[in-house]
Order: sequence, then structure tokens, then C-alpha cells
Amino acid sequence: MGLVDKLDVPQPIKFVLNWGRKYSLWVMNFGLACCAIELIAASTSRHDFIRLGVIPVAHGPRQADLLVVAGTLTDKMAPALKRVFEQIPEPKYVISFGSCSNCGGPYWDSYSVTKGVDQIVPVDVYVPGCPPRPEALLEGILRLQQEIAKESLKDRFDRADRQPIVVGGHIGPVDLSNR
Amino acid sequence: MTPEELVAHLQEADASFVERSDIQFGQASIWVPREKWQACAAHLKDCGRCHFDLFTFMSGVDWPEQNEIEVVAHVYSVRRQHHLNMKIRVAREGGTVPTLSEVWRGANWQERECWELYGVEFEGHPHLVKLLLPEAFEGFPLRKDFLLMTREVKEWEGREEPGEPGSSPRPGRVPTAGGAATKAGEH
Repeated sequence: MGLVDKLDVPQPIKFVLNWGRKYSLWVMNFGLACCAIELIAASTSRHDFIRLGVIPVAHGPRQADLLVVAGTLTDKMAPALKRVFEQIPEPKYVISFGSCSNCGGPYWDSYSVTKGVDQIVPVDVYVPGCPPRPEALLEGILRLQQEIAKESLKDRFDRADRQPIVVGGHIGPVDLSNR
Repeated sequence: MTPEELVAHLQEADASFVERSDIQFGQASIWVPREKWQACAAHLKDCGRCHFDLFTFMSGVDWPEQNEIEVVAHVYSVRRQHHLNMKIRVAREGGTVPTLSEVWRGANWQERECWELYGVEFEGHPHLVKLLLPEAFEGFPLRKDFLLMTREVKEWEGREEPGEPGSSPRPGRVPTAGGAATKAGEH
């Protein structure tokens, strides 16, 4: 990115930069199944995520900031997702939309479905649901924007404690003891 | 034609076409012997009364007990508006079916799909390569003995039949006062 991610930018400038970034999220629609319909519904007039500064749809991954993986990712499609993700310039964010992309969902035992896109790309926000309502995506976007507002680009790459956001769940480490 | 008329017509056209027939839910199914598979398909397409111009779907059924796979071809006539299931049984290992892709062009991809998912070879098929599965995929996933690794490594509710001795109570079901749910006729 240049100086911004090498220097520790003063807080007022950081605030302005992040404010600008969080309200201009060009979204790359990686729609794979029925969840894509909800994603499109979220972009149209009734739910209208354009009022939150999310711009549908980037002309290609190289113009995008936000990747929304909506739907069932199969093992055969996984290399394409990886490729799209790598084409998006930093700083980039990933929303995993729907049960299938979170964990495989109803196809948890399938021979062809990737059980969770977090095996392929790092996920910032998980939106659960089958499919989630567009409001859930709006919530996920708002939570992501809160994260972007707090972010320091210099620390972005060496933050080991980065925790994904789970919409409707709690923030923080996921309790795996009861599984 | 009604399903009954359809079966009667085929038996009249060539008695060796129909090894066995069945009518379920208003749909006729015929089991065709292997050597008549292509001839029967050609008749179904070319005969004016049948006029099956649309190859809708090809599927398969795995029968591990008989060590056979049943290939089911669904054909439909847009003009006559009737439907027929052509069925053929082949051995699970090394079984081959003559291709229908010369009769219906649409059968080409369906046979490729059937081949990769059930492992049935289609004799005379022009381009029998994987259609949907990744190229490196091994095994035939729609066969009943295909191992789903996720089911092996994770506990899941469907592992046990409900009501089996020693099975866990299903979620959301309150156990009765007499213990686990008892089957009728056990008293």
C-alpha cells in the first residue's frame, strides 16, 4: 500500500483514512447457490446496502475490497475461490455468508463440498443461516465496518489475535468443548 | 399414450424389447435386455406413435445385494406428452451399457455423469471423461459402499436407526415414564 502500512499514522489521520475505507467497500459477489439471491436482495432497494457504503458489484476481483462467499463451495470450485481472493488487493475482507460456506451446512457429509471456506481463505465475518436473511448480511457488514474503523493498517498483517466476527454469536474465541 | 398402451405398443413392436415392465405412479418402466438397448431406443425415437424426442435424465440405482447397478434413462415425448423409464441392469464390476448418445445427443453428458458417479462404462461413447467431479477424484460416490469420511470421523444422529436397542434418544424427544420409547408388540 505504501507508507500507510509502514508508518504508525497519527490517530486523527488514521480515523479519516478508516472512515473513508469503511464506507467504500466494493463487493465481489462470489455467489455459488441460493444464498447469492439473499445477497442480491440485500443490494437492491428494499434492504439497500449501498446506503452503508457497500458498492455492488465490483467489475472484477482487482477492483474489489470485500469478498462475499455466498453459497456452497465445492472442492472443484475451491481453486477458483483461492484465485479470486488472491487477485483482490490488500486490504481485503471476506464475509462467509450462509451455513454452506461457514461449515458445509446441510452438505456436511458430502463427497464434493468443501466444509467451510475458511479452509481456503481467511474469513473476517461469519453470517450463519440457511440462507441468512439480508438483514443478517447488513449486520455482518456493520460489524465489519466497526472492525475497519478500529484497524491500523500497520498492524494488520502481524495481528495474531485476530478473531473472526460471528453474526448473532459472541465475539471472541469459539467454545469447542461441547462439540 | 397412456402407460399401459405404451407398454402394450412396445411389446407389439418387438416382444424382445420388454424383459419386464412395471407401472408405478402413472409412469411406465421397462427393463430392456442389453442387446436390445440401442434398438429399443432407436424405436422409441423414430416410431411416430412413441416419438420420444427428449432424453430427460439418466440415473442409476446401486443394488449391492444382487451385485448389480441399474441404469435408468428417463425419456419424454414433447409432442405426445408421455414419459417412459428405460432400465437396464449391469454387473457392478466391469459392467458395460451400449451408449445412447447416437440416438439422443443429450444422452452424451448424462452418460458421462452416470459413468463418473456409478462406474458404469458406456460402450461406444465418443468422449467418456469426467464431467462434474474433479479430475483427481477417485471412487464412485453414488455407490452405496462409497466411504464418506466425514461420517466416519464425526458422530451423527443418523448413524443409528431410531428405536434400536442402545440407541441414543433423539434430540427434542422426551423419554416416556417406562424408559426408552418401546416398540409395539414387545410386551
